[in-house]
Amino acid sequence: MRIVEVDPTSCVACRNCEYACAFKQTGDFDIKDSNIRVNFYPEERACIPWTCVHCGEGWCMEVCPAGAILRNPETGAVEIDANHCAGCKMCLLACPSGSIHFDKVELVSKKCDLCGGDPACVKFCTSGALQFVEEEEAYSFRRESLDNKLKRLFGLNKRGS
Amino acid sequence: MPERETVQTLCRMCDDRCAINVYLEDGKIVDIDGYKEHPWNRGRLCVKARAAVDMVYHPERLLKPLKRTKRGFEEIPLQQALDEIAERLLAIKDKHGARSISIWKGEAIGFAQEEDMARRFVHALGSPNYFSNDSMCYNGRYFGYRLVEGSWPVPDYENSRCVVIWGANPPHAHPNMTQMIMRARKAGAKLIVVDPRMSAIARQADLHADLKPGTDGALALGLIQQLIETQGYDREFVEHYTVGFTELAEYAKAFSPERVEEQTGVAAAVVRELARTIAAAAPRVAVYVGNGPEHHENGINNIRAVACLDAILGALDREGGNRLVEGFKANHLTLYDEIPLEHLGPIGADRFPVLYGFRQECHTMTGINTILSGEPYPIRAMILTAANPALTNPNTLKVREALGSLDLFVVRDLFMTPTAELADYVLPAASFLERVELHTHAKYQRITMTRKILKFPDVQDEYQFWHDLAHRLGIGEYFPWEDETELTRWILEPTDISLERAAAHPEGIEYTPIRYRKWEKEPFNTPSGKVEFSSQYLKDLGYPALPEYKPPAYLESPDPEYPFVLITGARKLIYYHSRFRNIKRFRTAIPGPEVELHPEDAAALGVADGDSIRITSRIGSVEVPAKIKSAVEILPGTLQMTHGWKEANVNLLTHDDRFDPISGFPLMKAVEVQVENV
Amino acid sequence: MQIVIIGNSAAGLSALSRFRSIDRESPITLISAESGTAYSKVLLPYYLRRKIPYENLFIRRPEDYTQAGIKTEFGVKVKRVDTESHTLTLEDGRTIGFARLLIATGSRPFLPPIEGLAGANVYHLWTLSDTEQLDSLFRPGQRALVIGSGFIALQAAWAAQQRGLKVTVFELLPRIMPTVLDDRAAAVLRQKVEEHGVEVRIGIHTEAVERTRKGLLRVQTKGHPPLDVDLIIVGAGVRPNTELLDGSPVQIDRGIPVDEYMETNVPGIYAAGDVARGPTAFGETHQTHALWPTAVEHGRIAGANMAGRSVPYQGSLNMNVTEMFGITVASMGKFIEDEGLTSHVIDEAGQSRYVKIILREGIPIGAVALGDADDTVILGRLRPWIRNQRSLPDVGGFLEGRYLLPRQVA
Ligand SMILES: Cc1cc2nc3c(=O)[nH]c(=O)nc-3n(C[C@H](O)[C@H](O)[C@H](O)COP(=O)(O)OP(=O)(O)OC[C@H]3O[C@@H](n4cnc5c(N)ncnc54)[C@H](O)[C@@H]3O)c2cc1C
Ligand code: SF4
Ligand code: SF4
Repeated sequence: MRIVEVDPTSCVACRNCEYACAFKQTGDFDIKDSNIRVNFYPEERACIPWTCVHCGEGWCMEVCPAGAILRNPETGAVEIDANHCAGCKMCLLACPSGSIHFDKVELVSKKCDLCGGDPACVKFCTSGALQFVEEEEAYSFRRESLDNKLKRLFGLNKRGS
Repeated sequence: MPERETVQTLCRMCDDRCAINVYLEDGKIVDIDGYKEHPWNRGRLCVKARAAVDMVYHPERLLKPLKRTKRGFEEIPLQQALDEIAERLLAIKDKHGARSISIWKGEAIGFAQEEDMARRFVHALGSPNYFSNDSMCYNGRYFGYRLVEGSWPVPDYENSRCVVIWGANPPHAHPNMTQMIMRARKAGAKLIVVDPRMSAIARQADLHADLKPGTDGALALGLIQQLIETQGYDREFVEHYTVGFTELAEYAKAFSPERVEEQTGVAAAVVRELARTIAAAAPRVAVYVGNGPEHHENGINNIRAVACLDAILGALDREGGNRLVEGFKANHLTLYDEIPLEHLGPIGADRFPVLYGFRQECHTMTGINTILSGEPYPIRAMILTAANPALTNPNTLKVREALGSLDLFVVRDLFMTPTAELADYVLPAASFLERVELHTHAKYQRITMTRKILKFPDVQDEYQFWHDLAHRLGIGEYFPWEDETELTRWILEPTDISLERAAAHPEGIEYTPIRYRKWEKEPFNTPSGKVEFSSQYLKDLGYPALPEYKPPAYLESPDPEYPFVLITGARKLIYYHSRFRNIKRFRTAIPGPEVELHPEDAAALGVADGDSIRITSRIGSVEVPAKIKSAVEILPGTLQMTHGWKEANVNLLTHDDRFDPISGFPLMKAVEVQVENV
Repeated sequence: MQIVIIGNSAAGLSALSRFRSIDRESPITLISAESGTAYSKVLLPYYLRRKIPYENLFIRRPEDYTQAGIKTEFGVKVKRVDTESHTLTLEDGRTIGFARLLIATGSRPFLPPIEGLAGANVYHLWTLSDTEQLDSLFRPGQRALVIGSGFIALQAAWAAQQRGLKVTVFELLPRIMPTVLDDRAAAVLRQKVEEHGVEVRIGIHTEAVERTRKGLLRVQTKGHPPLDVDLIIVGAGVRPNTELLDGSPVQIDRGIPVDEYMETNVPGIYAAGDVARGPTAFGETHQTHALWPTAVEHGRIAGANMAGRSVPYQGSLNMNVTEMFGITVASMGKFIEDEGLTSHVIDEAGQSRYVKIILREGIPIGAVALGDADDTVILGRLRPWIRNQRSLPDVGGFLEGRYLLPRQVA
């Protein structure tokens, strides 16, 4: 399957992706509605876009007590079925990368569904930091410099999860 | 089932002109996304593009001609409006002469054939007074480079080993240029950003020189000095293809890294590092200069100094450097050769001979003065299309007074703007989705033709308007083409690209293959035929021959009453000059104006984020909410405020009498102000 | 290889799907004492307060079982397990052989030994049939007493209040949510509960329940006047369903202790979910959480190992989240201050926002969040840090939304 690959070494936190996603969800530009989030840390000069990677064994999907999170057989996307989501928020707690958020109007959880296979965030990313690529090919770019940037940012030394 | 159709054209929500797919249902546009085949944007778009749908169907859009009456604006039939305008123009021409009639062309209509139509019209009428937004945009850079290299080159980002973005913020101002820069970086290029602010592009910079506003020339000369001192320059190129190197080298000697630090605030070590980085990448150094250095009293020479780097590095017209563009040899609409009107005293041509000499255009700020004073001769009528100077030109109050005092003021726009409010007639204009025109992407030497996708009954495209008016004024012979499609056919006539072929290639057609090192065979487009570090042309006009650096006024003679320096005009991604404030969701994203300031300044003023502050310059005051940036994003003592807001118009503060002496560009990026907490 | 899974809920189903993803062939029998396809216990309060429709309680369709290629025995209890002969005995007398067995029988509510409590008009909120029963009794104006103030008790109170009942909550201990929240969070939540018109009495000892002639329940407490109510909902903890193992060599100790492969002391017999006591992320070897996510994790580990893989369990990390009384309540790991621990707290009482992260030598070990759902997201991001025992140098920054290092990138 293809996923949205994010490249913090190209992102400029222009927020095109957040607007494009929010628009797709609600027709408005409230970035709180976006399923992709970009964090910018001026001191570190770091721009970190992040969205769901549609984990092979999606913990959100397994944990959802409503069976509302399913993999789309065509796109491979892990999707929340708003008609079955009870709004229990267990998936929010389950996702290790914070890729699910709660819609305070509809009272259901929301996440990236890859726009049915043509993600708007990528189409509106003018820096090229977002690419829609085969999962196996994702994150093969300039590992080293990216790792260093992230390590500096997060002060990490151990392998993440 | 609704009838669905997809049409490719170019987005013109900004001047980048990205290729788009326009999706129609029963003739109505329902969506827009990126068209993948065009090399400019490769299918990617910024979020403004989709808002074109909202713009064209906006409930506030003007769809009928309006006429000012005692009761305010009233709708009148289109033909009547044109008849009345023609009649009044002829009366003014009779009374004050043709040159009392002027045209003001704005950014919103672009720089292709629509610009040339306006120029053609006014010349056909016998007036040299063509004004445009270029009195304060683009020309500064164009002149700077033209004086040195003969034209403004395009950065060959993708082949570059070092990209220098100087006073520009592509992510917000030229969104898809960002992907080109990032492609270069992925291939290993270094990114240098020169900007007083940590702009969006600076977030990815390997080196960011956060110089004080208006000190660009000192930095550029410092780099030249370093490159020469460390032998990091292209001897052979300099020797064969340039004039004035010795003088420049001599002049630059004074710009040691220490002196540069003292002027610009950029540490001497950083200056050395910048020089080392570009020298290591030479000749594959691509430099893009933005609006930042233009709006200063020393703008042109600062830009000239930056332009000199191309030749010193041997990067000019080399792969990965700055490539000289070969133009599209089509028919041109302008009439400067057929009807020269220089003898009629184009407004501003005496004071800014380079502006008229290079671009045949008049100086808007001088024009405003002329309207008010009647000197040296009256300007009594103006047709303004696609501009909003009541918000975007400096010294708003004066602009409003002048435009409001005209005997006839006609405005063409999509919306009722503060400028249109001053008009006698407001005519509904066609959006880019309602026009056929040819666009050039210089970077790819490609032309692309746009499509007329929509048509509203009383909305004329630019050509139809000029055509219909010209025929009422007895100059119809200059507008013989039936419509803009026929006009476009004529423009293409001398080329090997037919209208039909252009229409069949929404991805654009390369009109001439890209070549490098054209200087091996062809002279530069300068008086000497060489790169001119030193310009006899300028010297003859009484300007310094070398790109001499003059410190900005706020540094040279600080005014204790106005201790802050205000940068205006940094672009926001979703707004374009004064446009799109009426797109509802854009207001969700950025609800209103704000002024950026340093946290220490905010603390000293006792200002919290979002608090209203009053900014006052010598000529006016505005109140605006404060946006406190982080300490690394803006220099202390420096403010930044974006233009184009009705609610807090920064041009109430900017001066219309302080210019760069060569280009006539106003000082807009280093305005001395004071700040109070209100 | 005949596989038998007892339990048609979180643990059993997650084991089933993991097993099937590895082994498409082996015959499986899934047994459940309850009839009908699987429903979600967690969602019962959501239905009761009308957040979701009845049909959304069901998390499997009949065809899901057929598609998984398994045999089902629903509505029949397992009475006995014979580990010698590898057979089960059902309550209707039939026997079923197994090569490998998973016990995922869950738990059942505990009825405190209060005089007169057992009897008419006293309910639990535990199974679908409990819920259906309560649903028919929830009529506006009725008075309800909820005994206990844990997650489920308070959700029952919230549902009853939403349905127009007049609700009182009794908690024996001096504060509500004694095991799932810290003192401060409990106080914030209590205020929210009371703002919704629910009366909360803490430190209260219920002595006896009497049935009046009008069919009312009169609740006698120490030191307070008696309280008359129409119904009582008891939410005072759970006990594991282990009776079927009585007399078998499978070890039982307040649940079924299992090793890191979710296997009991008897090879080939596994246990998962509320009934099991497995390892935790903090190194404890046998713990019960009685939480849905733990049941799911147990199930998938058991399923993989039953299918022949050798997948050790990292240990469970308790996590809990729910919305009640207009506020999101989430907790995870160890969140009570103690010697040698530090805490990082955001306490915006005005906003009803409270977030606390507990650290041991810079390594986060637990957290509580009350207020907005956004803070739940932060807790979710903290989970891998707790699990991997990574030190968090900038807790303040993390709470402001700093992203953790995504796995795919590291
Ligand atoms: C109202 C309510 C709300 C809850 N809310 C939350 C929450 O918000 N978050 C959270 O983490 N947890 C919550 N829980 C707890 C969660 O539901 C349990 O931890 C989880 O269901 C445990 O799953 P399990 O598979 O181990 O057991 P159970 O779900 O209890 O399932 C046990 C299965 O075994 C079957 N069974 C039992 N005995 C036998 C037998 N002898 N023979 C055959 N079959 C048998 C039963 O019929 C059933 O199918 C809630 C529980 C309830 C009741
Ligand atoms: S919030 Fe919705 S999608 Fe998320 S776990 Fe709960 S029911 Fe499933
Ligand atoms: S950058 Fe945006 S507004 Fe400009 S042409 Fe491209 S899509 Fe349109």
